[in-house]
Formats: sequence, C-alpha cells, structure tokens
Amino acid sequence: MRPPLLRRSDGVIAGVCAGLAVHLGIKRSWVRIGMAALTLASGAGVFLYAWLWIFVPTAADKAAERGRPTGPAAFMQDIGTKDGKIRPAAGTGAAPPRPAGTFDAESWRERTLRAGRREVLFGTVLLIAAAVIVVQLLGVPVNWGFLVPIAVVATGAALAWSQLDDVRRARVMNRAGAGRASGMLRLLAGIVLVIAGVLVALSSSGSWTLTMATLVAVLAVLAGVVLVLAPWGLKFWRDLETERAARVRETERAEIAAHLHDSVLQTLALIQNRADSETDVLRLARAQERELRQWLFADPARDPGSLAERLRGMAGEIEDRYGHPVTVVAVGDAVLGPGEDALAQAAREAMLNAAKHAGGAISVYLEAGPDTVEVFVRDRGSGFDPAAVPADRLGIRESITSRMLRHGGSSELRSDGDGTEVRLRLPRQAGSAA
Amino acid sequence: MDSENLPADAAAPGTVSVVIVDDHGIFRSGLRAALGPVIRVLGEAATVEEAESVIGATAPDVVLLDVHLPGGRGGGGAEVIHRCSTLGTPSRFLALSVSDSAEDVVAVIRAGARGYVTKTISGPEITDAVQRIASGDAVFSPRLAGFVLDAFGTASVAVDDELDRLSARELEVMRLIARGYSYKETAKELFISVKTVETHVSAVLRKLQLSSRHELTRWATERKLL
Repeated sequence: MRPPLLRRSDGVIAGVCAGLAVHLGIKRSWVRIGMAALTLASGAGVFLYAWLWIFVPTAADKAAERGRPTGPAAFMQDIGTKDGKIRPAAGTGAAPPRPAGTFDAESWRERTLRAGRREVLFGTVLLIAAAVIVVQLLGVPVNWGFLVPIAVVATGAALAWSQLDDVRRARVMNRAGAGRASGMLRLLAGIVLVIAGVLVALSSSGSWTLTMATLVAVLAVLAGVVLVLAPWGLKFWRDLETERAARVRETERAEIAAHLHDSVLQTLALIQNRADSETDVLRLARAQERELRQWLFADPARDPGSLAERLRGMAGEIEDRYGHPVTVVAVGDAVLGPGEDALAQAAREAMLNAAKHAGGAISVYLEAGPDTVEVFVRDRGSGFDPAAVPADRLGIRESITSRMLRHGGSSELRSDGDGTEVRLRLPRQAGSAA
Repeated sequence: MDSENLPADAAAPGTVSVVIVDDHGIFRSGLRAALGPVIRVLGEAATVEEAESVIGATAPDVVLLDVHLPGGRGGGGAEVIHRCSTLGTPSRFLALSVSDSAEDVVAVIRAGARGYVTKTISGPEITDAVQRIASGDAVFSPRLAGFVLDAFGTASVAVDDELDRLSARELEVMRLIARGYSYKETAKELFISVKTVETHVSAVLRKLQLSSRHELTRWATERKLL
C-alpha cells in the first residue's frame, strides 16, 4: 500500500515534492525535475505545485487530526541542507533525540535558513528568467517591463500565501508570539511587494509624477475596496463566531440531553414501576438526586481522594443499600492517609450500624481542624445500651474502637432515648505519621 | 410563641400566615399539603414580580422563598427580599433550596432571610421552622451551620462582639446543629435553655448578614458546593 499523500515538513518550499516522492515511491530529485519541466510547459508545474500546496495536508495536520501531535517529530531530525539531496524518510519508527513539541518554531526557522529560502527564491527567479530567455531565443518578443513587475507580484503573493501553512502550524503547535510577529511581517512584505509590482506594471511607461498619481489612485481604490468590503467581512466574521458558539451550545445541549436520558428518565421510569413500594421510590429518588448533584455541581478541582469525598461516597452507598437518608456536612477537609482511611472505615461502620439498627435520617459531620480530624455519626433511633451488646458482636469494638486506637485516635459512643452518636477523633500528626 | 411579634391581621393567636414563593407548581402544592394546620397559606407566587405583589398585598408573617426564581433582574430569592424591604412589609423570609451552592445560600441569607432549609425537609420540620421564623428566631439546617463554620473558621474565637468571628458558645451551638442536633437537643447538651440557643443562632445569623469579612464572599464564590 502506498503511503498517504502528505506534505513533508522537510521539504524545501512547502514539502510538496518531498511528499509526492514518498507517495509515489521515487526519488525526490526526479519529482523536482519533473515539476520544473512542467513549469516550462507554460508554467503548469507552478500551478500544480500551488494546487497541491493548498489542498494536500501536512503530516502535522494529519497528526493533529488523529490527536497525535508527536508524529512529525520523527521526521524533523537529520534535515538536509542542500537542494534535492535530502535523505529519504529517516524511518518512521526512529525515536527523535529531541523531545516532541520543541522542534517547531526553533528548528523550523533554523531549517528554513539552512535549507535556504533565499536560495530557493533565487533558484526560482533564475528558473523563470531562464524560461523567459528560452522563449526569447525561440523568437517570441518579451516585454521585460511587464514581466518584472509580474514576478514581483508573484513573489509578494507567495510570501503572503505562505501564511496559510503557518496558521495551520500555529493551530497544531501553539507557537510563541514571535512566530505571529514574523507572520505579520511576512504578510506586510507580501502586500507591499504586490502593490509595488502592480504600480510598476502600470507605470512602466510613464513618468515619476504619473507614478505618484497612480500610487494615490491605487491607494484610494484599495481604501475604497476595504471600506466597501469591511462591513461584509466583519459580518462574515461575526456569523462565523455566532455559528461556532451555536455549535458549542448544541454540543452541550446534546450532552445534557444524553445525560438526562441515561439517568433521570431511567430513574423516573423505575419509580413509576415501583410506585407501590415507598422505600424503593425513596431510595431511587435519593440515589438519583445524589448522582445529579454530583454531575451538576461536582468541582473538578476537588480531590476525589479526600476524606470528605470518601465519606460522601460511603454515605451514598449506605443510603442506596438501606434507603435511609444520610446527610454529610463537612467543614474543612483532609488528605487520605492511613489514619484518615481508618477514620473513614470506622465512620462507615458507625453509619452501617445506624442504618441497620436505628433507621431514619443519619447525620454525619466532619470537622477537619489543623490539629485533629473529628467525625460524628448521629442517628435518631431508640438507642441501645453499649454494655448490653453481646461479647461476640465485633462491630463496635473491633471496627470502631480498636481501629481508632491503633491509629492513635479515640472513639466515644453515646446512646439514649433520642438516638445514638458515635464520635471519632484522630490527631492529625499521628495520623500522617502512622 | 410571643404573639406580640405577630402582625395585627393574624387570624388567631398561634396561627402563622405564609406565602409560598416557588416556580414549581408541584412543589408549591406539595408544600401546602405538608404544612401543619397552624399555618395558613395566604397566597402563592411563581416569579419575582408575582412574589412582590402577593407579599405586598397579603403581608404574611413568613414567606417561604425559593432561592432560584425566574423574573426580575435574575436575582432570584435575594431580589424578592430586597424589593420587599423597600416595600416595608413586616414579613420574615425562610429560604428553601435544592441547591447545594454556597453562593446562592449566602446571597439569600445576606439579603435578609432568617433561615435556610433544604426542600427535602419533612412536614413537621417545616411547620416548626415556620413558627420559629415567625417568632423572630433564625432557622439553621445542619448544612447552613456547616457553611457558617466553614466560612468563619472553627479555630479562632471572637472576643467582644466581633462581626468577623464566632464566640466560643456560638461555635459550640453551630457544631451541634451541624451534627444534626435540634435546638432542644443542643440546649440539653450544653446545659442552656432553648431560648439561649435561639439567641446564639440569631447572633450568628446577624454576623453572617453583617460581617464584611473578606473571606465570606470569596469563600462563597470559591465554593460551589459543600
């Protein structure tokens, strides 16, 4: 299978010939000679080149499309300095010694300087001159005063058009401000050259005053054109922006719709099915509420590995299992260490006990101060006598009391007719040192 | 409880008149049904403008106010409170919200609401809260107490009547409320009267409303959720 037709970043002008060579599997020199030969045929080569330049994407573009901006980096090493003697593809698998991403502005400039944009331009000029001379030798009269300005205009246009690549490249590699400045400069130079060329072409036969008058006329026409086209251009630009914003909104809307469909609508359907079971309905509603809240308000900056998030997760899980609402109020937060982990496990055990034995709403309060982390788990059950719990029930003793003690913390259990509260306390230093 | 606080047009001593302001019809009718017999619903409103005119016309003891409301200048519940304060109605406001966002809650409290409860609150609880508000007290849910503790910090303690910090007693009261204690349970725990708890909560509310504490606004905007 042929390699895809892509413009290569190690080409001389825009990488068209190099890319074509890779695509066709022949030497670059042949492609270049062929292109030059075509140019002699009424300039067909130039048009072919320009056409390919515009429509063939670069390897970098392609890589960006695939989300792999590192792709072209492999081709950027070992770049030949002279005309066509560049080593063909340095092997796609070879890892570049230079880290990907750093090659862009710097090496691009280096390379263009070394590969010699000047030489390329000079060569082009020579080529065209040669072509013209050949034509003249064949007996066709040549109007030099007309050809030179055309050449200047072409150069300016090429200069301005070379922006096209840079814009694309900037999108891919996020170039520094310097690249933008040089781009502006290039654009300005291009415009000046084009205007100068047009002027010279127009005034090649006239006097200096006529040239000045022409200049004024040209500027006036240009200003007029800008004046006429500016609102249109502006409107076009705005339309583009509006359309882009609309597209973004549409994407968001679609995402929200998809999420609501997957979550809320499904839950509502389930609730309708289970309408006869109050506990099921309650559980479904709470679970859905939690999920929706998480989705609506979740702060991506919030650490999912924090103690508060851990407790919320556990509370949600217990809520789902037993159908009793568990409210978590957190003041401050702590990073999960071994001690904090034990604290969370103990709190989970307390929540489980409350859900199993007391029922009703359960309040969980976390306060993380600079010295201690405290967790309170409270239920509104009828209470129990901790001393009356059989010795073989390990829940409280093992999972709460001993666990907290092992990590340098403490626990306390209070129970009366109004409910039960488990208080867990963990000194912070001990927790992080354990 | 102290009926001299009630406006003169209250139908009978002990009954509290309310207006329900919420843009969801289903929630309004549900809330109306959940409120106890001591509460008389004078009217309902669904937007900021409606709320302003209904409250102005009926002058209820308490307004049950959703934090998020359409209409007006987009200020929601807080805007209703601002507009009614220029009307000079004696109504007190209890904010209701499904929102977890600290910004919303703090905005409506700082606008002058005397309490904040979540919409999942049960019928007896909301009835109790409305009566409490009508008698001039503040109503703090565990979550609002958590907000307060987070905003004012739990470490430093105010000397004198500083607006930027809570006194040791106020801290204790807030902590217990955050832990899910009712006012009565808090009073029992701290060996003080329920009235004293109410005084402390009102003092905290005042600090929350008046404090120019820099962190309060910053904190509220930073924290999308608690």
